[in-house]
Amino acid sequence: MATAERETVREAAASWAVRLSDPHLTDETRAAFEAWRAASPAHEAAFERERAVWDRFDRLRALRPAAPEPDPDLLAPRPVAQPAMRWAAAVVGAVALSGIGLWSVNASPAYATAVGERRLVVLEDGTRVELNTDSKIVVRYRAGKREVKLVRGEALFEVAPDAARPFVVAARDRRVEAGAAAFNVRVQPRAVQVIVARGQVEVADTTPFGAVEDEARLAAGVMGLYGEAGGVAQPVTGARIDQALAWRHGQIALNGQTLEAAVEEFNRYSKDRQLVVADPAIGGYRLGGYFRVDDMAGFVRALQTTFPVKATAEDKTIYLSAAG
Amino acid sequence: MDHTEQEARRAWFRREILPLEAELRGYIRRLTHDPVAAEDLLHDTFARIIAAESWREVDSPAGFAIRTARNVVYDSLRRQKVVAIDYVADVGVFGLADDTADPETALVARDELKRLRAIVEALPTQQRRVFTLRKVYGLPPGEIAERLGLSVSTVEKHLVKAVRACADALARDDLPPPKRSPWAWRRQSEKR
Repeated sequence: MATAERETVREAAASWAVRLSDPHLTDETRAAFEAWRAASPAHEAAFERERAVWDRFDRLRALRPAAPEPDPDLLAPRPVAQPAMRWAAAVVGAVALSGIGLWSVNASPAYATAVGERRLVVLEDGTRVELNTDSKIVVRYRAGKREVKLVRGEALFEVAPDAARPFVVAARDRRVEAGAAAFNVRVQPRAVQVIVARGQVEVADTTPFGAVEDEARLAAGVMGLYGEAGGVAQPVTGARIDQALAWRHGQIALNGQTLEAAVEEFNRYSKDRQLVVADPAIGGYRLGGYFRVDDMAGFVRALQTTFPVKATAEDKTIYLSAAG
Repeated sequence: MDHTEQEARRAWFRREILPLEAELRGYIRRLTHDPVAAEDLLHDTFARIIAAESWREVDSPAGFAIRTARNVVYDSLRRQKVVAIDYVADVGVFGLADDTADPETALVARDELKRLRAIVEALPTQQRRVFTLRKVYGLPPGEIAERLGLSVSTVEKHLVKAVRACADALARDDLPPPKRSPWAWRRQSEKR
């Protein structure tokens, strides 16, 4: 059932749960409810769910005070002091960390991962960088600027806020500048891909005659692709972002990608074996599912049981071709 | 089917199936990795289960519910013409059996009131006031309407919105612990 339709049914079900609990319920209302419920199992099931929620909140009666006059604001949100405390702790932490940072003023530390490896790096300001397979960053922090060069591969940045020092990721000929944001940058053969999960970033072209990008400011939920010919950006769903970032959990998410594209993904994570689509006739199959990045064999097995595809191993290469 | 038979079937659904909501949601999410689609498929799964004429023959409601959920997911994938070749996700079937024997049930029950209260506190003001008078004080909609100077149908609308918001909030809370790295930013960004 489509989302809008599902919500309509659930709302109708909730409405019946509310009205049926009214002590002044009339026979006509009751009959109208029976007719609605009998119309489809979706109605019947939705009603059971909403009424279960409705009944569950009867427990709130335990909160009823002795005072005779009902107070509609009895459950008004209570002020909490905690967030301020958390901020204080965060500031203390940042001060302590920047003190340590002074020792390494002139250093440009580099961090890298091997093929198939992932790594979390926490920088001196608290910024977290998660590196995907075969990736490398060089960190250059100095007064007034925090710059990280993504030399190769893919990384997710969760930037620690610092109004005085903007955070910049340089990836090939693009600069991605951010305040407090979480975003993923991937260096692809012919483009740089940027996905913003939280906050916003600005993308700039650093080539001497670089054009001003049409869509230079990316908000949360936007994916941008930047190549020699310019950039394109478009909003994507949360699910799509989760899929693009499935690597953080050691997974490859396929959601309608071609076999060709899926094979490229698996090859990124594998150092001793590579897949090759030897037969263009099968390269266009579209796949769905989640796989472990290190389970190329499982992927090939699943492929062979689902499609007319055969796999032939030769030295360190597995050739995929049409079966029969 | 006569009336009592129908009621017996619904009672079975309430007793055996509804408590599995969080597990079913978790299972469907593991198959789809799409929270919105998962809610749709969960909705369809419940509809298919409650319509089962053979409910008396079901030995293991959890197993039956999981099989139904899987069929619903696979049917939907077929409609979308995306071939699911994900065998890894089936591991989730085995996860369910472990979840049912939950030693923390007592602890959860103790926190229930606190949790319901927090959900109500987070409702928009008017919904919260109407819902409080209905649920904490047990006032009928007619009396709430008088006290707050609203029409009965407006009171009902607030209540309906409040129930839906509460159901969604419970669904968010009920999620099995996500298999995520320590960063929680993704869920935070969804809440905004």
